[in-house]
Amino acid sequence: MRYAIVHETHYAYAAPVALSQQLLRLTPRALPWQRCLAHRIDIDPTPGERIERDDYFGNGVTQLQIAAPHQALAVVAHSEVEVSAPPTAAPAGTQPWEVVRDRVRVIGPNPSLDAAQFLYESPQVRCFAELAEFAAPSFTPGRDLREGAQDLMHHIHRSLEFDPTATNVSTELHEVLALRRGVCQDFAHLMIGCLRTIGIAARYVSGYILTTPPPGRPRLVGADASHAWVSVHCGKAGWLDLDPTNDCVVEDEHITLAWGRDFSDVTPMRGVTLGGGEQRLTVRVTVTPTENA
Amino acid sequence: MPRELLSAYPVAGERYDEMFSAPATPRPHWARLYADLQRASGRLMRERVETVAREIRETGATFDVHADPGAVDRPWDADVIPLILAQDEWAEIEVAVTQRAQLLDRILADLYGAQHTLREGLLPLALIYGNAHFLRPCVGLETPGGVRLHHYAVDLARSPDGHWWVIADHAQSPLGVGYALENRLIISRVFPDLFRDLKVVHLATFFAALRDSLAHWAPSDGAAPFMVLLTGGLTTDGYFGQAYLARYLGLPLVEVNDLTVRDGMVWLKTVSGLRRVHVLLRRIADDGSDPLELRGDSATGIPGLVDAARRGSVLVVNALGSSLLESASLFGFLPALAERLLGEPLRMPSLATWWCGEPAAMEQALARIETLIVKPAFPQLQFEPVFGEDLDGPGRDALAAQVRARPNDYIAQERIQMSQAPVWEAHARGNRLSARAMGLRVFVCATPGGYVAMPGGLARVATGPDTRVLSTQRGGSSKDSWVLSSAPVSTFSLLRTSIGADDLVRTGLDLSSRVVENLFWYGRHVERCDATARLLRVALGRLTGRAAAAERGWPAIAELLADRGLLAADGAALDDILVVRALRAAVVDDARPGLARALHELSQIALRLRERMSTDNWRLMQTMQRNLSRRHAGALALSDAIEELDQSIAALMTLAGFALDGMTRDLGWRFMSCGRRIERLEWMCAILLSATAAGRSGEIEWALQLADSSVTYRSRYLAKPEWLPVLDLLIRDDSNPRSIAFQLRGLNDYVQRIGRTVGEFHDERIAAAVDALNRMDPTRDLDPQSPQLRALLVEWQGAAENLSELISQRFFSHVAEERRESVSA
Repeated sequence: MRYAIVHETHYAYAAPVALSQQLLRLTPRALPWQRCLAHRIDIDPTPGERIERDDYFGNGVTQLQIAAPHQALAVVAHSEVEVSAPPTAAPAGTQPWEVVRDRVRVIGPNPSLDAAQFLYESPQVRCFAELAEFAAPSFTPGRDLREGAQDLMHHIHRSLEFDPTATNVSTELHEVLALRRGVCQDFAHLMIGCLRTIGIAARYVSGYILTTPPPGRPRLVGADASHAWVSVHCGKAGWLDLDPTNDCVVEDEHITLAWGRDFSDVTPMRGVTLGGGEQRLTVRVTVTPTENA
Repeated sequence: MPRELLSAYPVAGERYDEMFSAPATPRPHWARLYADLQRASGRLMRERVETVAREIRETGATFDVHADPGAVDRPWDADVIPLILAQDEWAEIEVAVTQRAQLLDRILADLYGAQHTLREGLLPLALIYGNAHFLRPCVGLETPGGVRLHHYAVDLARSPDGHWWVIADHAQSPLGVGYALENRLIISRVFPDLFRDLKVVHLATFFAALRDSLAHWAPSDGAAPFMVLLTGGLTTDGYFGQAYLARYLGLPLVEVNDLTVRDGMVWLKTVSGLRRVHVLLRRIADDGSDPLELRGDSATGIPGLVDAARRGSVLVVNALGSSLLESASLFGFLPALAERLLGEPLRMPSLATWWCGEPAAMEQALARIETLIVKPAFPQLQFEPVFGEDLDGPGRDALAAQVRARPNDYIAQERIQMSQAPVWEAHARGNRLSARAMGLRVFVCATPGGYVAMPGGLARVATGPDTRVLSTQRGGSSKDSWVLSSAPVSTFSLLRTSIGADDLVRTGLDLSSRVVENLFWYGRHVERCDATARLLRVALGRLTGRAAAAERGWPAIAELLADRGLLAADGAALDDILVVRALRAAVVDDARPGLARALHELSQIALRLRERMSTDNWRLMQTMQRNLSRRHAGALALSDAIEELDQSIAALMTLAGFALDGMTRDLGWRFMSCGRRIERLEWMCAILLSATAAGRSGEIEWALQLADSSVTYRSRYLAKPEWLPVLDLLIRDDSNPRSIAFQLRGLNDYVQRIGRTVGEFHDERIAAAVDALNRMDPTRDLDPQSPQLRALLVEWQGAAENLSELISQRFFSHVAEERRESVSA
C-alpha cells in the first residue's frame, strides 16, 4: 500500500518564546517492508539551526533551535510511504515462550543485545506482580509465544476501553490497570509491561494508521493523531508487531515512524521553550491511500 | 601522662588499629604525633579543639542535610587528630586507586561505545540495560582524549588483617573534595610544627594537575579555556564544599539557570551578554543535566547539553552517563574486566558482592544471608539496606522470597570490620583519646600522563563507638589525612587570600548575571543594615540622653523609625518604656523588622556569593549574626543594646572597607557599589525630608549623626549645627562620602562606565539629578523651608528607585525567565 501522510503540530503561546529547542521523531523508518518515497518537514518560523541525525535506536531525529522571538510554532511533516506486511505477520508457529525467555536471560558470551534492550523496566513501563497475573492466562506452560502474545493482545483489547479523556502522556501503568481505560499509548504500555514482567522483550512502536478506511472496511481507532503499538521479540522468528488497540496483527495499514522502550524514547515532538507562558497545542494527522500496491 | 591519654581508649580487638600496633605502642609513623599528644597540656589541646570548632563555624562550613527538612545547616565536623599514612602504605593505595580509575574509565568508554564487554559476556546485560543511569543518548558520544572519568572518589576501608578494600565508587562527581581541602587548611594550622617536621605531602599539586588537565582537554582551539563549576545550588548537599573548591580552583561557581545552549555550544549568561564555556565541572546529577534528552524525575538541567557534548564543543566533567559506574553490583565483575581491559590483575579488591541476577550467586548469597547486607542493585530502586543479622528466621525467609521474585534488583554484600582511628574526646576531662570506626575517601584525577591521586584524602569517622554505616548525612565526623614523605614537600598553594569579585579576568565580563544581581543586592543590604543600626543608635541615644534638643527631634526620628517598621506608626506618642522595649527588640529579634533581620537577609545573599567572599569577610558576618542571636537569648539592658549597635556599626564599616580595599574594581564591584549608593541616596533623602518637615524649628544634630557627619561638621565649623552648613555638608559637598552629591555623581559615573563596558545603558533621570544639583542656589535652596529643596529631595529619592528598576530590567530579568517543557504525540 502507498500512503500520503500529513502530521501537523501547532503550538500557540500566550507570550513570546525567546528560545525554543525541539526534538522531532517524525521521519518514517526505513524497513525491509517499508519504503519512504518522499519526506519533508516544514517548520514555521524557520529554525536558526536544524540538524538531522539518528538516535540510539536508529530512529531519525530532527533537532531544531529557534532563537528568534515567536508566539506560534507550526511543524508539518509530509511523508509518502510504501508499506507491505512485515514477514512475521504471516501466521506461523514460533517457539514455546519459556524457551525464548530463557534464551535472552542467559549470561555469557554473544547475548542478544537487540532483544535485551527491550527486556527491562523503562521510564514509563514498570514491571510488577499484577502485570504477571494479567499475563498468566495467556502464557500457559509450553504455549507457543506467538499464540500467547496474540491471546494477551485480545485480553487487553477486551479489558480496556478506548477513552481519550481518561489518561495523558505521562499516566503510569498502575493507573491504567486500575482505570481499565486509555488510549493507544496506554494499550501498548500495558502489553509491553505484561510481556517484560514474564521475561519477553517488547518494544514500543510509534507510527500511523489509515484514517479513512477503504470501502467496506471499518475505520481504525486512534487515527486522528499518531498511533502506537507493540513489537514482540519472538526469538529466532524475529519481531512480531501487534496492535492491542485494534486487536490485530500489524500488516500493511500501519506506518512505522520509530521504536524504543516506551513513549518517552520516541515522543514525536519534545521540546523546551524559554518564556511563552500558557501554550495551546493542536495536533492533526491525515493518512490517505494514494494507490493500491 | 600516657595513662590518662589512653584511659578510655578501646582495645582494637578484631579491628585493625590505625595508630597502635599493640596497646600503648604506636606504629612508627604515628610516633611523633603520639609524643606530641603525650606532651601537650590540657590547655593546649583545648585551644586546638576550639580552633578547629571556630574555624569551621566562622568559615561557615556546613553540610546541608536537605533530606531532612527539619534539620538546620549543621557544621561540618572535623576531628582534631589527623589520620597518618606511611609513605609506602600510601604508595600502595595510590597505585590501586589510580588503576581502578583507569579501569572504570575504560569500562565507561566501552559501554558508551562498542560494548565489547557486553558482547563477550564480561558484564551481564541486565546490569547495564536495566540500569536507569545507562543513558542511551550518550552512547557514541566522543570525549576529548577519550577520557570520561576525569575526577573520581573512592571509599576504602581497612580489614582486620590490615588490607584495604574498596567499598564504594563515586564516579559522577567526587563528593567531599572541598571538605578535604578545608580540613587540611584547619588541621595543618593546629599542628604547624608537626605538619612541617613530618613532611606531609601538600594537596595543591593535585588541584593544579586537575585544573591544568582540564585546560589541556578543553575544546577551546588553543585560546584560554573558560571553565566553570556547576553547582546544584544552595539547597544541595555539599554546597559549601563546592563553593570552597570553586574558590580554590579560581572557577566561577554557576547554577543551571546561568547557562544556556545555543548553536550546540554552552554559554554563560553574563551582564554583558553570552560567554562561551569550554569546561563544565559539574556537581549535578546525570539525569538532571538535560531536560531535552535526559529526562530525570525533575525538569532541571541545561536543555541541549547532551547535544553540545555530542558536538564536542564543551568538556563535561565527568562525562554524562558516568553515574552508571556508581553501582556496587559491578564489583564482582571487575577482576575479569581488569584482566580483559588493562591486561593486569585488579590491585585492590572490592568488598565481596553478589549480584542476585546470577542464579549461582543468588544461591550462595541466600545461603549465608545472616552475614550479609542486602542492597538495591540499581540506583533507581529506593530501599534501605537490610542487615541479614537483624532478621529472625521468618524475616530471612521473607527477604529470600523477595529476592527470588526479582533477583536482578538485589545485591548482597559482605560486611567489613572497619579499622579504628583515634579521635579526641573533646568533652572529657583531661586529655583523652578514644577510637572510632573509620573509612578513607580518596580522590583521583585524570591527567594527560595518567591518573593521579590526591595524597591523603578525607577520612570519615563513625559517630558512635561502633557504627555499621559511615555517613556524613547521619552525623559522622571527618579527619584530615596526612601522607608522610621523606623528600622535601612543595609548599605551593592555589588558595587566594585576597577578595576578588572576579578571580579570572580583570573586566568581570564573565560574571554571571545571577552573581552580579546578588552583588547588587549585597551592596544595597550592607547599606540598609548600616542605616538601620545608626537609626536605632540615634533613637536609643535620645532615650538615655534626655536632652531638650533631642526631645525636639523626636517626632522626625519616630517617623523614620515607623517608615522602616521599627516602631508603630504612633511611636512618637508612646511612653519611653514601650519605646525602649520595641527598639531593643528591633536590634536583636530577627522575627521582626530591625537590625537582626537585616543582617539575616544580608547573610542569605552573602551565602549565594560564598565563593566570591574572602574568609575574613565571611567570618565577620557570621560573628555579627551570632552575637545578636546570643544577645537575643539573654536579657538585654539598654546599654547592652547600644554597645551591640556600636559593634555592629564598626563591623559594617569593616565590611565596607573590604569592599573598598579588597575587591578589584571590575563590573561586579561596580554593580555592588551602585546598590550601595542607590540605598544611601534614598536614605539621605528620607533623612532630610524628615528633618526639614518641621521647618527651621526642627532639630538637626541627629541628622548629622545618622549621616555619620558630626565629626566632619564639628572639625569644620567648630560650632553648634546650623541649617545652611549642615545642608551643604549633607547635600552639596561631594567630598563627604555620605552626601547626596557624592551618591549622585558616583551613580552617574557608574552608569556611564557600565554603558561603556556592556554597551547601550543610560539613565536620563540620574543625569538630570546631577544637573539640578549643580544648578542649586545655596542661599535659596539650602533652607529647610524651601519648597524647591523638598521637590528636589523627592525627585532624587524617586530617581534612586528608578535606577534600581532600570538595572534590574536590563541586566537581571533573564535570570528569572521561565522554562517550559512540551510533549506532543
